[in-house]
Amino acid sequence: MDRISPQTLRILALLVVLGLVVAFFASQIDNYFNARLFNRISSSVAIMALIACGQTLVILTRNIDLSVGSIVGFAAFATGNMVAGWPEISPLLLAGYAILVGACFGVVNGLLVAYARVPAIIVTLATMAIFRSLLVEYSGARSITSDTLPEWLVQFPNTVVFEVAGVQFRAAFVIAVLIVVAVHIALMRLRPARKFYAVGSNPEAAEMAGINIKATVFAAFVLSGALAGLAGFMFLARFGNITVVAGLGFELKSVAAAVVGGVNIFGGSGTVIGALIGAILVDLIETSLVRWPFVTEFWREAVLGALILMAVAVDAILMRRLIALRVRRERERKEAEAQ
Amino acid sequence: MTAAVLALQDVSKSFGMTQALSGMSLSLLPGEVHAVVGENGAGKSTMIKIMTGVHQPTSGTILIDGQVVAIPGTKAARDLGVAAIYQEPMVFPDLDVAENIFISATDLGLLQRRGQLREKAHALIDRIGMRLDVDRIAAGLTLAEQQAVEIARALSQDVRVLIMDEPTASLSAHEAGELRRVARTLAAQGVAVVYISHRLEEIFEVADRVTVIRDGQHISTRPVGEVTPDSLIADMVGREVGNFYAKAPSQTRDEVLLSVRDLAVEEVFSGVSFDLHRGEVLCMAGLIGARRTDVALALFGIRPPTGGEVVYKGQPYRPRDAAQAIAAGIAYVSEDRRKLGLAMPMPIRANVTLATLGKVLSPLGLVRLGQERAVAESHRKRLNIRTPHVELAVAMLSGGNQQKVMLAKWLEMKPDLLIFDEPTRGIDVGAKAEVHDLIRDFVAAGGAALVISSDLPEVLALGDRILVMREGRQMGILPHEEASQEAVMRLATGQMQGAA
Repeated sequence: MDRISPQTLRILALLVVLGLVVAFFASQIDNYFNARLFNRISSSVAIMALIACGQTLVILTRNIDLSVGSIVGFAAFATGNMVAGWPEISPLLLAGYAILVGACFGVVNGLLVAYARVPAIIVTLATMAIFRSLLVEYSGARSITSDTLPEWLVQFPNTVVFEVAGVQFRAAFVIAVLIVVAVHIALMRLRPARKFYAVGSNPEAAEMAGINIKATVFAAFVLSGALAGLAGFMFLARFGNITVVAGLGFELKSVAAAVVGGVNIFGGSGTVIGALIGAILVDLIETSLVRWPFVTEFWREAVLGALILMAVAVDAILMRRLIALRVRRERERKEAEAQ
Repeated sequence: MTAAVLALQDVSKSFGMTQALSGMSLSLLPGEVHAVVGENGAGKSTMIKIMTGVHQPTSGTILIDGQVVAIPGTKAARDLGVAAIYQEPMVFPDLDVAENIFISATDLGLLQRRGQLREKAHALIDRIGMRLDVDRIAAGLTLAEQQAVEIARALSQDVRVLIMDEPTASLSAHEAGELRRVARTLAAQGVAVVYISHRLEEIFEVADRVTVIRDGQHISTRPVGEVTPDSLIADMVGREVGNFYAKAPSQTRDEVLLSVRDLAVEEVFSGVSFDLHRGEVLCMAGLIGARRTDVALALFGIRPPTGGEVVYKGQPYRPRDAAQAIAAGIAYVSEDRRKLGLAMPMPIRANVTLATLGKVLSPLGLVRLGQERAVAESHRKRLNIRTPHVELAVAMLSGGNQQKVMLAKWLEMKPDLLIFDEPTRGIDVGAKAEVHDLIRDFVAAGGAALVISSDLPEVLALGDRILVMREGRQMGILPHEEASQEAVMRLATGQMQGAA
């Protein structure tokens, strides 16, 4: 028991909750648990997982990024615009362009939060509105439509990488999961990446330990922006039609995914894998509620909200218990030694 | 003689009008444990902060290996081999022990290899002679273990000067002994250890040399064999006694307002017993970690006592929360004006009536602004709060005037018992005398005051009796006639147990 880290414990607990939710809806809705459910959810999670991943990096440092929805919208539009004007652009270059656009917005956020010392919630609340307005201005109220996009891009979300018994692992989902896993490994194993945890866990100690807090917070915002940019690329590929409202509301959904996934809103703990599972959970419940006749459309949001509160409460209680248990055990060990 | 690894030469530091250090000199030799002692506020913390790059000296030089250096930040200090650990350790609660130790290591490559990290962490923990599972999450560690983690972190970066600031103040006797052993072990390995402590007896156990500082100045540095607890106390107290403030005659009446017997809060303090009469000022003296504020918080109901008996106004009294204490006529003026006492952006008027808003309400439940203003005005005149008008935000006032607003707030409540925590910390001499007068006026009118103060001359000037605490225990109560700075200090440092 002691060998299992709290992080792993959290992920396991989330998987159990995920299983329970599926089992519950399977008992309520006919013909629920099938390959189509997976295919539908995996397509939308592919986008949200990337955003939640970036959001997690920011939250780890005791900040928040409310501008990600606007960044997704802008990056989607800009990317669509780019490919419409230059249809023979290589896919990698186009994705890179989306990431670059997102990262530039991240730089703005990062500079204001880390170096100008404006609280993140204020900065990103403002940039959420500003980036959205930039999109309106830039688009000139035009929309991107799928007929201006090259064939490969429209086909991309439906490309099946591999298929197991009708369960399709589509390109977007596979790429998103690979990226989340890569970020996870980096956070766990890459030495500089541990600073995200250090800064959020105890900023005072981080400063004393000679960690560059500003650079760390800045990096978190740039990465969050970059991942939102990539999510914008995915969004464009999936929907084809991009209007000025693209990505609206994604900021809160990404925070919800992270928090449900066990990321501590006060920073310092949580994993991107957790955020990925959180994104799946939120999406799963949202999709399933639509098909569950007992909950009307009006109550769907409330049920989702209740779920978020529950997740956070359970998480807090669990961690407190765990720490208390360890402290008690330690004391017993000490007492045993003293005798 | 070996060359100093770090030396301060004629270092001064001022914050605005306050001179925290003046002409401080200190030299640290490799392989020594160098104790630094002084009263609260003598300048020890400022000195540490200069050595660790948190503060920059206003004048003077810092030498490392005989070379003049600048230490512009904590990172620079680490790079020069200077590290500090504090009473409250700086660990990352969400990371495990090994990660905590190597969080700022730069020589381990980009990828963290768990096996290598654990091995190195083990080696460092071994080097300081502790046993600790390197996989444990820091949140569950005891204070002593967290300090071990910090020391290991310092060692991982080739520390040459390790400053330990009150490291044992919150530790049990056993843990403190272990930490002193760690200090000796490190010194034996050639590290210069600066050991700051209020526990004089442990200085004789751990230190090679001891430096006394007082009022921001270097007083003496001697080998530990050449000093005695009494000589240290004399150096620490030093100043001319009695010139500063004169003690006003006692106004103590016969009626006991508050009677406390064996008051205790589990694992914080125990065995506190005293009687407080109307008209009396009882001062509580002690050093950091003496737990005086905790006694006040227990009486005020913020942290309800777990043991002992309290009789207040002839009735048994068991405060469960602050509202109950306030209703019983007890006021607590906190040490931290900013955090606990005043709403800084609000005007003086609103702050004064904050605790007694019910008195200025109209039948409709609205605040009668005129009446509120009149109340605030009367206090402004009586307490001589220097402000153009009572609509000014409290944040705009000087420390002394803020303190008066805070006092006004509680006096407006018309309390019988006033608990005053560090009433004059950070305010100038003139305002100090005024605050003292106000406290005396308060008791002369029949109230009783319990004053916590770390300022010895103030304790002697104000207290009809002085209760001295040390590490959660009452060491004795001195009547004013028997009290001197030396006597109080002897009790506070545990050199003498007084009669209760």
